[in-house]
Amino acid sequence: MTFISIEFLLFFAVIVFTYYAIPHRWRWVLLLAASYSFYASLSGYFVFLLLTSTAFSYVTGRLIEKQETKKQKKKVMLMGICVLLFLLGWFKYFNFVNDSVRAISAYLNWNYAIPYQEIILPIAISFYTFQAVSYLVDIYRGKLKAERHYGYFSIYFAFFPQLVAGPIERAKKLLPQFKTEQTLKYENLSYGMKRIAWGFFKKTLIADRLAPIVASVYDNPDATGSQIVLATILFSVQLYADFSALSDIAIGCARMLGIKLTENFKQPHFATSIGDFWNRWHITFSTWLRDYIFVPLCKGKKKRSEIYVAIIITFLISGIWHGAAWSFVLWGLIHGFYRVFGDHTKQARGKMASFTYLDRNPTFHKWVKIAITFLLVCFSRVFFRSDSVTAAFTNAKLFLTPSSWSPSGIIEAFEIFSLLDLAIFAFFFIVMQLFHHVERKNASTWNWLSQRPVFARYAVYVLIVVSVLVFGATGQGFVYGGF
Amino acid sequence: MKNIEKYKNAFVEALEIEEDEVGEGLVLGETSEWDSLGHMILISTMEEAFDVSLDAEWMSEFDSYQSGLKLLDRLGVDFVNE
Repeated sequence: MTFISIEFLLFFAVIVFTYYAIPHRWRWVLLLAASYSFYASLSGYFVFLLLTSTAFSYVTGRLIEKQETKKQKKKVMLMGICVLLFLLGWFKYFNFVNDSVRAISAYLNWNYAIPYQEIILPIAISFYTFQAVSYLVDIYRGKLKAERHYGYFSIYFAFFPQLVAGPIERAKKLLPQFKTEQTLKYENLSYGMKRIAWGFFKKTLIADRLAPIVASVYDNPDATGSQIVLATILFSVQLYADFSALSDIAIGCARMLGIKLTENFKQPHFATSIGDFWNRWHITFSTWLRDYIFVPLCKGKKKRSEIYVAIIITFLISGIWHGAAWSFVLWGLIHGFYRVFGDHTKQARGKMASFTYLDRNPTFHKWVKIAITFLLVCFSRVFFRSDSVTAAFTNAKLFLTPSSWSPSGIIEAFEIFSLLDLAIFAFFFIVMQLFHHVERKNASTWNWLSQRPVFARYAVYVLIVVSVLVFGATGQGFVYGGF
Repeated sequence: MKNIEKYKNAFVEALEIEEDEVGEGLVLGETSEWDSLGHMILISTMEEAFDVSLDAEWMSEFDSYQSGLKLLDRLGVDFVNE
């Protein structure tokens, strides 16, 4: 049962109805049963791994709190994190490490006997492990008390709207909301349904329509440079639509239950720098990395060069988190390099903007920065999308070849679309951009829309729902669902 | 040395700016020296100068000369009766 299915919508409708029909004291049982059923439908027996990780984190949290000295607390916390990371490492990275060691051994003519192991990656393990780590660290830091109620704690670990791909929430934010009696509110139901519909719109009309077109280029060993350029730009649009749709549906579902989740995206493709991009893309993951990796790494550092090392390590971890492959490692390192290079050349770029009079037209200057940032992000995504490091370098070379960017070549590359697909994509892409435009001007498109006449408002709602029903493409999983 | 002097010195040392540039108008992100990376260096310098520990949440709170004073005051650094 995936988010994009009638089964899920029916399942969720039953949960919402029952949630508000039963007394508050029983709702945690309902949410927990719903969360485990949902996870079991996706990941089968791995629900037992989720149960084990939950029980382990619960006990470790209590143990940290019981220790008398800071040193003892730290010891228990580190032990707990090591166990959680071992589980993540075993399921997600065993074959990555194993294959890498085997390749090195073969290169050095060493005998290495451990064969490839058939290990299935449990869905959402990267997400719930990060939530568990933040829980243990926050208890150690004294920012959070260990949760006593096992039921509520288990929901924090497995809350079905955000279990599969976030937003990655902190216990301090989520647990009190589960414990508060949520009353049935029209605005929560209305807002939640709109966010879910918008998620379906982005997923079925943008992401899943683009996915086979992008794949047709990336799976083709004879793809031209212009096709790679176009497919990479389209992949950026696909990835944003795919992942932000997942967050929209998660936020919408939670809101219908009275729970407010953290926003995960703020129009990342309109970022004016790489630093700005990471403040807008997968925000809960970026802040997690900042709070639990980057800031501790920066402790006591008083030179920019030392901060640069912390940046590179943080982005390296970000890359490894995304996937067990060297292409993801390289993708992370590219972003680390961008960030460091951007900081190091800040003054020179400022002078350049002044020399070229760019800074005299702030609006134009801003759009130049947006375009450059977007292209840098696109280049990094060649590594994100390619199936192997060899393919990534081949595609990256094509992406950087000047002739790949010739207007005639790019126009020709649009042949990867059928005329109908292109028309449908163009129409819904423009609708998405209009939505973003209104959001940039008014902070919330939904609030802006609610102030329009009833006819206009419902015309938009009907357009979204009918478009999904008539033109929506399904059958693709979520990209970030695989992490 | 008085705490307020230590506080001002931390800005001078961490952000590599002149002493007369340190004052109430200093705000994170509004000068090229006090950017997000300079902020990390400033935090390390403050932690060492006042023997305190600032976590990520407090670091976000420390976004101006004035808010830094308030934050350190809450952490037990006395700027008035020393």
